Amino acid sequence: MSSSPGTRPSSGSIIAWIVAIAVLVGLGALLILNGPQVVASFFPPEPKTAQGHAILDLYTIVFAIAAAIFFLVEGLIVWTVLRYRRKPGDDELPPQTHGHNLAEVIWTVVPTIIVFFLFFVSWQTLNNVEAHAPKPDLLVKAVAGQFQWSFQYLPADAPPDAKPLFTVTAPVGPDGGLTLPAGKTTHLYLSSPDVIHAFYVPQFLFKRDVIPGVVNQFDLTLDASDAGQTFRGQCAELCGTGHRIMLFEVHALAPTEFDTWYQGKLTEAAASPTPAPSGGAPASGGPPAGPALDLVAQNVKFDKSDLSTAADAPFTIHFDNRDAGINHDVDILDAGGAKVFDGKDFPGPAVQDYGAGPLKAGTYKFECSIHPALMFGTLTVQ
Amino acid sequence: MTAPSGALTTGDPGHSVAEHNPVAGLAHDSRGGISNPILGMLLFICSEVMFFSGLFAAYFNVRATTTPWPPPGEHFNLHAEPWYALGLTIVLVISSFTCQFAVWAIRRGDRTGFIRNISVTVVLGIVFLLGQIYDYSTIGFGLSDGTFGTTFYTLTGFHGAHVFGGVIMLSVILYRGMAGQFSAQHHDAVEAASLYWHFVDVVWIALFSTLYIL
Amino acid sequence: MATTALTPAASAYRSGLYEWLTTTDHKKIGILYVVNSFIFFFLGGILALGIRTELAIPGVQFVDGEVYNQLFTMHGTTMIFLFIIPMLVGFGNYVVPLQIGAPDMAFPRINALSFWMLPLGGILLFLGFITGGAASAGWTSYAPLSEDRTLASVGSGQDLWIMGLTLIGTSSILGGINFLVTIFKMRAPGLTLFRMPILVWTVLVTSILQVLATPVLTSALIMLFIDRNYGGHFFDPATGGTAILWQNIFWFYSHPAVYIMVLPAMGMISEILPVFSRKPLFGYKAFVFATAGIGALGFSVWAHHMFTTGLVFLPFFSLMTFLIAVPTGVKMFNWIFTLWRGKLTFSTPLLFAVGFLSMFLLGGINGAFSAAVPVDFALQDTYWVVAHLHYVLFGGSVFGVFAGVYYWFPKMTGRMLDEGLGKLQFVMIFIGFNLTFFPMHQLGLAGMPRRIADYASNAGWNDLNLAATIGGFLIAASMIPFLWNVFISRRNGKIAGDDPWQANTLEWATSSPPPPYNFDHLPEIRSERPLFDLRHRGTGH
Repeated sequence: MSSSPGTRPSSGSIIAWIVAIAVLVGLGALLILNGPQVVASFFPPEPKTAQGHAILDLYTIVFAIAAAIFFLVEGLIVWTVLRYRRKPGDDELPPQTHGHNLAEVIWTVVPTIIVFFLFFVSWQTLNNVEAHAPKPDLLVKAVAGQFQWSFQYLPADAPPDAKPLFTVTAPVGPDGGLTLPAGKTTHLYLSSPDVIHAFYVPQFLFKRDVIPGVVNQFDLTLDASDAGQTFRGQCAELCGTGHRIMLFEVHALAPTEFDTWYQGKLTEAAASPTPAPSGGAPASGGPPAGPALDLVAQNVKFDKSDLSTAADAPFTIHFDNRDAGINHDVDILDAGGAKVFDGKDFPGPAVQDYGAGPLKAGTYKFECSIHPALMFGTLTVQ
Repeated sequence: MTAPSGALTTGDPGHSVAEHNPVAGLAHDSRGGISNPILGMLLFICSEVMFFSGLFAAYFNVRATTTPWPPPGEHFNLHAEPWYALGLTIVLVISSFTCQFAVWAIRRGDRTGFIRNISVTVVLGIVFLLGQIYDYSTIGFGLSDGTFGTTFYTLTGFHGAHVFGGVIMLSVILYRGMAGQFSAQHHDAVEAASLYWHFVDVVWIALFSTLYIL
Repeated sequence: MATTALTPAASAYRSGLYEWLTTTDHKKIGILYVVNSFIFFFLGGILALGIRTELAIPGVQFVDGEVYNQLFTMHGTTMIFLFIIPMLVGFGNYVVPLQIGAPDMAFPRINALSFWMLPLGGILLFLGFITGGAASAGWTSYAPLSEDRTLASVGSGQDLWIMGLTLIGTSSILGGINFLVTIFKMRAPGLTLFRMPILVWTVLVTSILQVLATPVLTSALIMLFIDRNYGGHFFDPATGGTAILWQNIFWFYSHPAVYIMVLPAMGMISEILPVFSRKPLFGYKAFVFATAGIGALGFSVWAHHMFTTGLVFLPFFSLMTFLIAVPTGVKMFNWIFTLWRGKLTFSTPLLFAVGFLSMFLLGGINGAFSAAVPVDFALQDTYWVVAHLHYVLFGGSVFGVFAGVYYWFPKMTGRMLDEGLGKLQFVMIFIGFNLTFFPMHQLGLAGMPRRIADYASNAGWNDLNLAATIGGFLIAASMIPFLWNVFISRRNGKIAGDDPWQANTLEWATSSPPPPYNFDHLPEIRSERPLFDLRHRGTGH
């Protein structure tokens, strides 16, 4: 004799009620306490580029339709589940409806119309976002390597492999990052010497993969109101152990300030030629002298985590950067975090002798200023 | 209400000889249609077709993005000397014929003809493999020689592996045939193995055309 | 009421270790699949807890860089290839021959072989952890990162990953062939294609996908192996290869794979909803066509995973991706209207089935955002995608799996699972799941990328990450009542009998558990609900 389900009192529906009420109360509390914040959290950040505004408009349309469908269908589920519970003891079968052809037609045709509408709207936006201005105001190549960004500013109409006018090697900071003119259109090339990365700026609502062997390109048209702001960017395609540290900043400057900055960079580049491949210009701290400490940078790691030298005497750091195309340097910081030696970064493969010291006895930290999270160690001076 | 019959079909050959259609050779199930092992082999061949599709897709992609193609170097110019490969092709095509003769023979109950033709097929398969190995040794480039070498060896190498598998399969069929395990009514394994062998041949024809002619 | 019941042969399922190791009985193999899959579910879950523990608060506390990359790589790989796909195959293995009135699968020994390849493949995959590092290039293993044996620190674990997956893929292909021959050739008399239970239909379409798509993955894995170990140049841009070629070949399989991961669960829901509403499935034929449509369309959308590469034909893939929402919507409405005007009994299987409906709906909707290509530019590779995939695979497939466990456990063991513990598990896992994954929508929108071991403390992501971690541990806790339930019910659960649910399909027309060759004789088959017809013969339906 098989037992029929549900002759017991339905504890299930009691639990279902408890869950439903708890969830509703919880959501209600959340909404009442931080309503605007909660609603905003369902949308991307306020966009800062013309392309981003177009994407937000599309998002809003999709969201409106999605929310409507969600509430309609989820509501239908919840209502059905509550309304059609079997009453205890009711053993009669409900009407055995097998289907309804008209219903099938309606819920096939209507969603098809909706998706075609969404497709066309998104195609329009796509054409907008992907458009390339015939004469952009600025041309920059963003180079993504393991695990840093650098930005090469190119002459107008230059191909991607052209020699840059100047290069910004630090991805973040007031002297680094991607500096762009607000209210103008920048055309970006993307290039990688190693693995796939992705250029992603959340406040632009935009990302594009950086693929070795291919140069992707797109326009960014910053809003004029962006002047003076800094936006965070991050690599968004897994690229190895240092993926999470591949941050960069985008600095928006008002057009006049940008021109000043740009001219300054051109002047700087003309004044200091790039270091020769080996035995190049000495770093700050005087000519190399005293005993030499050997330090190798390879695979974005130092080969030693401990160095030591004598106190009150100058010393040399014989620094071998073996990472092709990747800039490293050696900085020394004291216990308080102040920089007591600032080595100039250079790309590998190359060797430079840094003349450092003299330092008072104590424990110092040495690090690569570009990859401080991965490349650091302790310098004991005694 | 009539009770349903208790017998269930499981592919068990409990049907009478008179129901069996010896000409089709494939009807093994009392309900008609191809037998389970043969359907299984056909589906397996479908999966193998998809495997080679992946390799071919890679080849065409690589070829389209590498200029020039073939790369400079006399040994990369397979078009100039397709004769050896053509010879291998002829060997394999003949082996497909002999394989089919074997199938027709066993369908008729001609055990001798079946064994003879399968033996020839196995021999031809081995000749193909030896010929392929000799070709590799004299072709003048290796797997790591650029995209051309990589795609050439991957495609022909995996095909060769499939030929090897087919030779093993046919050897088992030969052994079972010589042990008298096949008859006109029961030779699904022969049908299945022959389908696989034809597939291997077709893939070679596609390979040969792609690598040496196109 | 009288059913065509049998008394099970004595000690049918008390046989020893040797029997379990050498069995070719689809029921035992199905149980082996299910148990093995649960083991890997827990292993994958532990990896997930490792991820969530590190991400709970900003700052690197426990694992960094390389180890973290191994955690999420192995989490994804384990859950997809060692848990959800084989779990659904296991249920199919157990139930499909019973539902079509067959005594076993078409190729029982190949069935056993398919199973045993799984623990072996799993061992190969996990061996990486003790040989210098497991695979760490993501379960998607994009080239050139996955090619690099030095700089990116992907060592021999990546090769073990390739080998393990090749073995698991072979198991998948053989299983698919087995199901197709079984379903096409071994149905009982009267069981035409359009009288098959929907679960059998979904297994049929899934098997076609497995047979046609998995070999393409195998080819990609082999090419990657050749690049890594034999100096090949398929995916290496420096020597003429193409980085994006990997993605195209990989996703050509991996997109149909997501339907492999969900269709049988949809089939299970389609069995459970009618039984617990006491009505037939609404729109049976529409279901069949929708399932076939999803299977076919599934081959045409793969590049939607590659919208941000700038290298694929965007409008085509966008349109096809949008279109796949249509058959999915058809199914959703048909399920809801199965419940509509029914008489619902809230046993645990129904709770999980309704959980499936509501959570999969969310997952389908948030997926549609990514179909709008420019929106995908904002959302791709962020936590939004993590939210989407977990809503469809966890809220969808995993809830479907638990629905199936509670529903078929009585058939497999002869005993009922405890309802109270079942409901407790449901409440815990429902809340835990939403707490973990709903905030990920916000995190993705706010700009948190995937696959990062740590995040800036001033990015505004702290609270949501902490909430997600708490949710993750709640999910883990929900396994306690579940495991306890299984443990006590095996011995002390209520005796189930043949048909404890008053169900519709043939597996309930034999004993629980069924005897070795399943049936002595079958009821007449005149519709997709042969047992229902038998039970209500003469009452005019």
